[in-house]
Amino acid sequence: MPLQVQQGLMQNNVEPMVIDMAVEENDNTEEEPVIVESTSLDLETYANCYTGLAKLHRLIFIADRCPQLRVEALRMAIHYVQTTYNVNLYTQLHRKLQEAVSGVNAGNPSLPDIAGGQVGGGGMANLPALDMQWVESRAKKAALKLEKLDTDLKNSKVNSIKESIRRGHDDLGDHYLDCGDLSNALKCYSRARDYCTSFRHIINMCLNVIKVSIYLNNWSHVLSYVSKAQATPEITESRSSNNKDQSAVIQTKLTCAAGLAQLATRKYKLAAKSFLGAQLDACDFPDLLSTSNVAMYGGLCALATFSRLELQKNVISSSSFKLFLEVEPQLRDIIFKFYESKYASCLKLLDELKDILMLDMYLAPHLNILYTRIRNRALIQYFSPYMSADLEKMAAAFNTTISALEDELMALILDGQIQARIDSHNKILYAKAVEERSMTFERSVEMGREHIMRVKGLILRSALIKNQIHVKSPPREGGGGTGGQGGGDVTMAATNSSAATPRN
Amino acid sequence: MASALEHFVNNVTSLSSQGNYSEVVKYVSKSTDVLSKNVAHLDTVLATLQPQSHSLGVVAVLCVRLQNTTHTDANIDTLHATVAEFVNVCAEEQIKFAPDMMAELCGSYADLLVAGNCAMRGIEVLSTAIRKTQDSPLHLTSIHAHLLHLCLMSKCFKPALKFMDVDIMDISKERGNYDVKHFLLYYYYGGMIYTATKSYDRAQYFFRVCITTPALAVSHIMLEAFKKYILVSLILEGKIGKIPKYASLVVTRFIKPLSQQYWDLGTAFTTNCPDKVCAVINKNQETFVRDQNMGLVKQCLSALYKKNIQRLTRTFLTLSLADVANRVQLSTPQEAQKYILHMIEDGEIHASINQRDGMVVFLDNPEKYNSPTMMSQLDKEMQLCMEVERRLQTMEEEIVVNPQYVQKVLGPQDDEGPAPSSAQSSSSSSSSTFNIVSSM
Repeated sequence: MPLQVQQGLMQNNVEPMVIDMAVEENDNTEEEPVIVESTSLDLETYANCYTGLAKLHRLIFIADRCPQLRVEALRMAIHYVQTTYNVNLYTQLHRKLQEAVSGVNAGNPSLPDIAGGQVGGGGMANLPALDMQWVESRAKKAALKLEKLDTDLKNSKVNSIKESIRRGHDDLGDHYLDCGDLSNALKCYSRARDYCTSFRHIINMCLNVIKVSIYLNNWSHVLSYVSKAQATPEITESRSSNNKDQSAVIQTKLTCAAGLAQLATRKYKLAAKSFLGAQLDACDFPDLLSTSNVAMYGGLCALATFSRLELQKNVISSSSFKLFLEVEPQLRDIIFKFYESKYASCLKLLDELKDILMLDMYLAPHLNILYTRIRNRALIQYFSPYMSADLEKMAAAFNTTISALEDELMALILDGQIQARIDSHNKILYAKAVEERSMTFERSVEMGREHIMRVKGLILRSALIKNQIHVKSPPREGGGGTGGQGGGDVTMAATNSSAATPRN
Repeated sequence: MASALEHFVNNVTSLSSQGNYSEVVKYVSKSTDVLSKNVAHLDTVLATLQPQSHSLGVVAVLCVRLQNTTHTDANIDTLHATVAEFVNVCAEEQIKFAPDMMAELCGSYADLLVAGNCAMRGIEVLSTAIRKTQDSPLHLTSIHAHLLHLCLMSKCFKPALKFMDVDIMDISKERGNYDVKHFLLYYYYGGMIYTATKSYDRAQYFFRVCITTPALAVSHIMLEAFKKYILVSLILEGKIGKIPKYASLVVTRFIKPLSQQYWDLGTAFTTNCPDKVCAVINKNQETFVRDQNMGLVKQCLSALYKKNIQRLTRTFLTLSLADVANRVQLSTPQEAQKYILHMIEDGEIHASINQRDGMVVFLDNPEKYNSPTMMSQLDKEMQLCMEVERRLQTMEEEIVVNPQYVQKVLGPQDDEGPAPSSAQSSSSSSSSTFNIVSSM
C-alpha cells in the first residue's frame, strides 16, 4: 500500500500545474485509463457546451481516451486555443496531433477518412500546421499585457486605492488563466482577498478561486471556498429582482462546484444532494459544467446512493431537477425505469450510455463504482419483497447468467446488504430469518468472555506496574538502548526456546 | 578453609534452631562467596545439614553447587536426586523467606536438565517447588517460566497446563529479584504450549500479555511472541489481532517493522485468496523456517480454507462439493469433502453431506439456548464474570483507601504547601494502577 501511494505522489510531481494535491486525489491518477473504442458522441455539440479551459481539458481528455475522435478533438482544441494566450498548450497540442496523425497512418489506414471527412475532405493537408509566427507574436503580446497589468497594479498600490488594487489582481489573474498559468492565477485571485470591501467582492473572489481550483483538481480547496462563499450573508438576501437572478446563479454555481468536489472525493450521496439543489435557468457557467453534466452527475449519484423513498421525493417529484432531466431524456428514462423496477431495461440503457460517460473527465474514474452501486441497489430492491426468489428469473431480469448472479449475490450477502441464502442445488434464493434470540445469546456469551479476558489482563497489568516490571535496555549497553541489541541475555533465552517449539 | 565452612554450618544450624529465619537469610546470602571458594567440600556440607530443618542453608549450598557443575559431571545423577529429595522435604515456612534463592536453585537445576537432555525428570520437582514457594496459587514466580521450559523441551504439556489454567493475579516479589525476563518467558512459553495443544484462544491471550508488557526497549522474546501472536490470531480469528492501545510504543515502532513478513502474511490473509497467501508464504519461506514458525504458517493456510468454507455457510443453503472446491480454491471435491467433514466434527460448521449427488446442505446452528445445560453454562459464565468484577472492586477499594493515593488526589486542592516529594514518588505506582482501573 505505501508503495502505491508513493507512486501516486510521484505522478503528481510530474504534473506541472498542480500546486498542492491532497492525498485523496491520488486515486484519480492511479486509475488505469480506459480506452473507449467507439462512441456515438457528437463532438461538435459537446464542445460547444463549454468555454475556456473546461473545453480544452475535456477535448484533451477525449483525445487521450478515444482513438476514434482523437484527431478531431485535437483539431478543435488547437482551433480554440488560438483564441487564448496559452502558447504552451498550443505547441503541446500540436505535438500530440503530430503523434496521433502518424500513429493513425501507420496503424489503421481507414481512420483518416473519418477524420479527413470531418475536416472537410482535404485529408492531412487540411490539418492546421504549427504556426511558429503566431506562437512568437502571441507570446510577445502576452508578455506585454502582463507587464502592463503589473505596472497598473503597482500604480494602484502606490495610490493605495483598495478597489483598483483588487481589480488589478483580478485582471492579472484573468490574464494568467488565459495563458494557462493556473498556479499564478490562483495566487492573484487569492491575493485579491485582502482588498475586498463588499460582500459581492468576496463572493466574486471565491468564485474565481473555486474555478481555478477545479481546473487544478484541488478539491479540498474548492470545498472550503464554497463554504466560505455560502457563509457570506449577501448571498441569501436580495433586494431587487435583478439581484435575485444573480444570487440564484451564484448559488447554483456554488452547489455545483461543491457537488463536483464531492463527486471527485467519492462522497457520492453528498454530491447527489448538491447537484439536486441546482436550478436550471440559473445554470449558466460553461467554463465549468454544462447543464447536461449537472443532470448526469446528479442523476447517477442519486441512483447509486438514494433509497427508493429519497429517489421519489428528491429526484422524481422535484420540480427543479425535473427540468434537468428533460435535458437528458435518456437519464430520465433510466431513473423512471429504475423506479418502476424494470431493471433489465434500466441496466441496458445504462450500458448504452456508458461509452459516452466514459469520455467525461470528471465522471470516468467513478463510473464503474457508480454502476456497481446502482446494480447492487437494483438487486437488493428486486429481492426485498420476496421470501424466496427463483434465480433463473432473477438472472433474466438482470441480463446475466445464473453463476454470475450467484457471485454478485454472494458478495452482497457477505456484505450484509441482503439477508438471504442461496440454494445452489434448486437455484432459489431464500430470505433468511434472523433469529434474534439466539443471536443475542451468542453475542452476550461472547461479550462476557471478552470482558473476563480483558479484566484479567487488567489485573495482571496492574500487578506488573505495582511491581515496576518493564523491559528496559541493560545498563551496560549505555543509554541508547534501541533496536535489536537490547538485552543480550534475553536473546539467548529466546533462541533457546524457539528451538524447543513443538511442531505439529 | 574448612573452618570457614564449619563456621557456616554452625551458624546456620544455630540460627535455624532459634527459628530466626530472616537472620538466616541475611547470613546465608552474605556467605555465597565463602561457599563458592570451597566448591570441592560442598558435598560434605550438604551431608551435615538437614534439608528439613536447615532448608535455607541447604538452598544456598545447592545453589552454589549447581552453578559449578556441568551436565557431564560424574555424579550428576546423585546431584539430581539430592535436589529432588530436597525440594520434596524442605520446610515451606523457611523457603518463603528466600523465594529468590529457591528460584535461582530451580533455574540452575532446569538449565542442567535441559543441557543433559533429560528435561522430563525435573517437571515434578519444579511443580512441587512452585507450590512451596508461591504465596498463593494466583502468584507468578520465576520458577513458572523454568517449569514451562522443561515441559516444552520434553513435549509433556499436561503438568504445565495445571498451572497455566489458573489466571495469574499477582507476581511474587522475590525480594526484588523478579526479572521481567521471567515474566515474558512464562507468557511466551505458555503461549507456545497452548498453541501446541491447540487452545488457540488461550495462546492468543498469553502472547498478547507478552507483547503488551510495558517496555522501553525491544526484547527478543517480545518480538518472537509478536510473530506468533500474528499467526495465532490468523488461525483463530482470520485477521491480525488488534494490538491493544496500552501496548508500549516500542511494539508499533520497532517490533512491527521487524516482523514485516508476518504482517504481509496477515494482509494477504484478509483478502481470503489462498493464492496470495501461498505467494507470500513462498516468498518468505526462508524467514518462516528460520523463525521455526513454518508449522504454524502451514496451519494458517488450512485455517484460511476453513474460513472460506465458513463464509460459504453464511451465503448458501446447498452447494455441490465441486462448487465448494471451486469457490474456496481447493483442487478436488474430495479435498473439500475432507475439510467439511473435519469442520463438522469439530463443530465449526453445521452441515451434512449427501454423498449420492455430492451436495452439501448447510444448516443453522442447532443451539437454541433453551436447554438446562445451556442455562447452567450461562450461569457459570456469569459467575466467572462476577468473580473477576469482585476482584477488581477490591483492588479499587484498596487503592482508594491508600493514604498516599488520597494525599495525591487531594493534593492539588490544598492551596498552600507542595506535597512532599518522597510520598509522591512512592505513591506513583499505586496511583498509576488506579488510572488503569478507572479507565476500564
